[in-house]
Amino acid sequence: MTLYLEVLEIAAGAVLVCAVVTLWRRDVRAIVTILAVQGVCLGIVAGDLAIHQRDLALGATALLVLAAKGLVVPLLLRRVLRKDPRSRETTPLVNIPASLVAAAALIVLSYVVSSKIIALDPSPATRLVPLGVATVLVGYFLLVTRQRTVSQIVGLLVVDNGIALVTFLVTSGVPLIVELGASLDVLLVVVVLQVLATSLGSRFGSFELDELTELHD
Amino acid sequence: MTATVSTVHVWSGIAISVVQVIALVLGAPLALGLMAKVRARVEGRVGAPIRQPLLDLRKLLTKERVHAEHASAALPIVPFVVAASVVVAVAISPLISTSPALSESADLLVVVSLLLAGSVALAIGGLDTGTAFGGMGASRAMTIGALAEPALLVAVVALAIQAGSTNLPAIVAGTLAHPAWAASPERLLALGALSIVVLAETGRLPVDNPSTHLELTMIHEAMVLEYAGPDLALVTVGQAMRLGLLVALIANLFFPWGVATSFSPAAIAIGLVALGLKVTVIVVVIALVEVRTAKLRLFRVPELLAGGFVLAVLAVVTGLVTR
Amino acid sequence: MLTLLVLVFPLAAGLVALVVPWRPWVGWVAAGADAVVLALGIALAVTTSRGHVQHSLGGAVRADALSAFMVLVIGAITTLAAIQSVRYLRIEREAGRCTDRHASLYAVLVQVFVTCMLGAVLAANLGVLWVAVEATTIATTFLVGHRRTDGALEASWKYVVLCSVGIALAFLGTVLVYFAAIHPGGGPSVAHGVGTLNWTSLMAIAKHLDPNVMRLAMALLVLGYGTKVGLAPMHSWLPDAHSQAPAPVSALMSGVLLTVAFYALLRFKAIADAALGPAFPRTLLVVVGLASLLAAASLLIAQRDYKRMLAYSSIEHMGLLALGAAAGSTLAIAAVLLHILGHGLTKAVLFLTSGEIHQAEHTSEIATVGSLLARRPALGGIFGVGILAIVGFPPFSLFISEFTMFRAEADAGLWWVVVVALGCLCVIFAAMAGHSRRLLLGDPDDGTVAVATPRSVVAPLVTALVACAVIGVVAWPLQSLLHAAARVVAP
Repeated sequence: MTLYLEVLEIAAGAVLVCAVVTLWRRDVRAIVTILAVQGVCLGIVAGDLAIHQRDLALGATALLVLAAKGLVVPLLLRRVLRKDPRSRETTPLVNIPASLVAAAALIVLSYVVSSKIIALDPSPATRLVPLGVATVLVGYFLLVTRQRTVSQIVGLLVVDNGIALVTFLVTSGVPLIVELGASLDVLLVVVVLQVLATSLGSRFGSFELDELTELHD
Repeated sequence: MTATVSTVHVWSGIAISVVQVIALVLGAPLALGLMAKVRARVEGRVGAPIRQPLLDLRKLLTKERVHAEHASAALPIVPFVVAASVVVAVAISPLISTSPALSESADLLVVVSLLLAGSVALAIGGLDTGTAFGGMGASRAMTIGALAEPALLVAVVALAIQAGSTNLPAIVAGTLAHPAWAASPERLLALGALSIVVLAETGRLPVDNPSTHLELTMIHEAMVLEYAGPDLALVTVGQAMRLGLLVALIANLFFPWGVATSFSPAAIAIGLVALGLKVTVIVVVIALVEVRTAKLRLFRVPELLAGGFVLAVLAVVTGLVTR
Repeated sequence: MLTLLVLVFPLAAGLVALVVPWRPWVGWVAAGADAVVLALGIALAVTTSRGHVQHSLGGAVRADALSAFMVLVIGAITTLAAIQSVRYLRIEREAGRCTDRHASLYAVLVQVFVTCMLGAVLAANLGVLWVAVEATTIATTFLVGHRRTDGALEASWKYVVLCSVGIALAFLGTVLVYFAAIHPGGGPSVAHGVGTLNWTSLMAIAKHLDPNVMRLAMALLVLGYGTKVGLAPMHSWLPDAHSQAPAPVSALMSGVLLTVAFYALLRFKAIADAALGPAFPRTLLVVVGLASLLAAASLLIAQRDYKRMLAYSSIEHMGLLALGAAAGSTLAIAAVLLHILGHGLTKAVLFLTSGEIHQAEHTSEIATVGSLLARRPALGGIFGVGILAIVGFPPFSLFISEFTMFRAEADAGLWWVVVVALGCLCVIFAAMAGHSRRLLLGDPDDGTVAVATPRSVVAPLVTALVACAVIGVVAWPLQSLLHAAARVVAP
C-alpha cells in the first residue's frame, strides 16, 4: 500500500474519529480542541491528494483549510467560551451512551448510503466516502441533541467538515472559485455565530438554548 | 507417514497447550504482582514483592473451604467453572505458538464465549449467596459485561475481516505474513476499542478498583466476598489468568512477532520469552494508566464502554471501506 | 453588458451606504438603484423572451429568460421595500430604537443581500449560485436581528443555524452533481474526468449522468435548498425570522430570498428530469409541497400574531410552488413563475403594511390591535385587500396562477394532490379570514379618531396591488416572457 493511500486512510479515519469523540466528551472546551484537530486532519487529506495529483489549486485549498478550520475557527469559538464560566455540557437531550450507539448506527447507515457513490467510481479515494458521510450524520446528531450554543456551532462545523471531506475524496475539490467562496462563507458564518453567541450569552445571562422559549406557536 | 506426522503435530499441540496453561497459571499472578509493584513505586511506596500473589494463593490453598449457609448447589461449582473456562480458553489460544491443541476450534467466538461463561458463573455465584453485596456486584458486573462484550466481539470481527477468518491462529499468522497490516487504521481503532474492553473485563481502573472494599465502589470484589480457601484461590487465579489471556491476545493479535510458527523447541522457547516480554510491557503500561486515572463513577462507565463500542464499529467500517 | 449593470448598481449603492454616514438620501439612493435594477430587468426580459441569452464576464454571468424574469421580480420587490425602508428607518431613529450606525448597517446589508440575490440568478455556474445564496444567509442574519430585542436574537440564532445546515446539505448535493458530471455514462463521445458546474454544460450531458448519484443529489438539494425556501419539515426558522425582522426585511425575505432558493431548485430539477425522468423529482416535490401546505394550514388556525400569520402564509405559497413545479409541464412552470411574481408583490405589500401597523401600534398581536379599519382606514384597507389577494381572490394574479397550477397538476395525473391542496387552502382561507376580521373590523372602544396615513406610504403599496390585479386580468405584457422562461427548465 503506498504512502499516499496510508496517509489518506488514516487522516480520513481520524476526521470521523474526531467527530465521534465530540459526541463522547462532555467538556465543551475539549470539544473545541477536537474540532481543531479535525480541521488539521482535513487539511492533511487535502494536502495528500494535492501532492499525489500534483494539483496546485488543491494544495492552496489544503493550506486554506488548515489555517481556517485548524486555527481561526477554534480561536473564535474560544473567545465565546472565555465569556462563559461554566464549561461543562449540561444534560444533552440524548444521553451519551445512547448517542454513541446512535453514532454507531449512523456510521453503518452511511456505509450503506454511500455504496451507490462508490459504485460510480471505485477508486481508492472514493471508497473512503462513507467516512465523510458518517461525519456529516454524526455532526448533525451533535447539532440536534446539544443545548449549549458552542456545542451547536461545533455540530454545524462538523457537518461542514464532513461535507468538505466528501468533496475532497470524490472530486478532488470543486473549481477553485467555488472552494474559495465556500471557505469564506464558512468563516463568515462562524464569525456571525460567534457574535450572536456572545450577544445571547450577555443578553440572556446563560448559554443554554433551551431557555430561549420566547418564540413559539 | 502422514499419520505419524499428524500424530506428532497433535502431541506437540497438546504439549504447547500445557506449556501455555502452566505459563499463565504461574505468570498471571506474577503479572498482577508486577502491576501492584509498579503502582507502588510510582506512588513512592516500596510495595509488596512481585511474587506476593503467588504466596497468597499458596496460603489460600491450605485454608478451610467454607460455604454460605443459604447457598444452593451452584455455589461450590462456580470456582471450578471460572477456572476451567479460562484454562480451556488459554489452552486453545495462540499465545506461544500458532498451533496449540484444537487450534482449528480457536475461533474468536469460542474464546469470547468461554470468557463469558466464566463471568456469568461468577455472577450467578454472587447472586447465590443471597447477600446484598453479592447481588449488587453481580448486577454491576453484568451491566458492564453487556456493554463490553459487543465491543469485544465487533473489535475482533474487524481484525477477522482483514484476515479473512475468525480463527485466532489464522489472524495471528496473517499479521505475521503481512506486516503492513499492523499500522492500518482499522487495527489502530480496534486496538483502542480492545484496550477499553480489557480494562472493563478485567476489573481495572478506571472501571473498577481491584483493591477497594467499599460497598459503593466494588464490582468484582463484591461477587467474591463469600469465597474462602481453595475456592477463593481458584477464583483469584481464574481472574488473573483472564487478565493474562486478554493481554496476551492483544499482544499477539496486534504485535505477533516472536510467536512460534513451527514445532521446534527453539521456536517454542522464543515464543515463551516473547510472550513474557510483551505481556510485561503491556501490564506495566496498564499499571501506569491506572496510576494516572481516577475511578469513573458508575453511571459514567457506560459512556466509556459505548465509546469503545463505537471505536470498534468504526474499525469494522474502516476495514470494509479500505479493503 | 446589461447583466453587469444589473449587478453594479446595487453594489454601488451598498458602497455608498458603507462610506457615507447615514442620511435619508442614502436610503433614496438605494431605492433608486433598485428601481434601475427593475428597469434593466425589463430590458433584459425584452431581449431574452425572444430566445437570446446574454453573457458577460467571459460567460460567468448568464441571463436567459428565466434569469431575466427573476431579475424583474427582484427589482420590483426590492424597490418597493427600499422605498418603505426610508420611512421605516426614519421612524425608528426618531423613536430612538435605532442609531445612525445601525441604519447604515441595515442599508449596507440590504444592498449586499440584493447583489447576492441578483448574482445567484445571473450565475452561469451552479457553484457560484450556491456561494451567493450562502452569502445571503450571512447578510440576512444581522438584518433579522436588527431590532436587537430578545426575540430578534433568538430568531436570528435559529435562522442562521438551520439555514447553514440546509445550505451545507445543498452544497453536498451540488458536489454530487459535479461528481456525476466527472463520470458520465454514454461512451467515448462524452468527456470523462473533467467535471463542470456550468448549467448549460450540465444540461447538455444531463441524460448521461448516473441515475443513482443524481437521485441522492436531488434528495439532498431538495432538503438543502428547501430549507431556504421554507418547505416543511425544514420550515421552523421561517415564522420566527419573519416575525422578528424589520418589516421591509420580512418583505424582502418572503418575496426574494425564498423565491431565489426556489429558482435554484428549478435549475437543478431541469438537470434531474433529464437524468432521472420526471418521476423521482416529482415525488420529492409533492412530498415537501404537501407537507408545507399541511403544516401551514394546521398552524395558521391558532395564530395570535399577524406577522407570524403572514409567515405561515409564505410557507403555504412555497408549498404551492413546489406542487406546481412537481407537475413539471411548461404551463405549470409558467404558472409557478407568475405565482412567484404575484406572491412576492402581494406579500411585500402585506409585510410593509404590517410594519406600518407595528410601528404605529407597538404590538403584533391581532387581538390587541383590532378595529384597524376604523382607526387607520388606509392601512386597514390595504391590508384587507392584500389578504384577499393572498388567499387567491380574483382579479389578483394569484387566482389565475393557482388555478393554472392545479390544472397542470391534474393534467399530470396528480388528482389526489389537487384535492388535498384544495382542502388545505380552504382551511387556510378560513383561518386567515378569521384573523383578518378580528384585526380589521370592530368598533374602537374609546372612540378614537381615524388617523390618516400619508400618501407617500399608501401610493407605492396601492400601485403594487393594482399591478398584481392588472397582471391577473391581462397577462399579455408577461406572457411571452413567462413562456420563454418556462421553456428554459421545462421544454
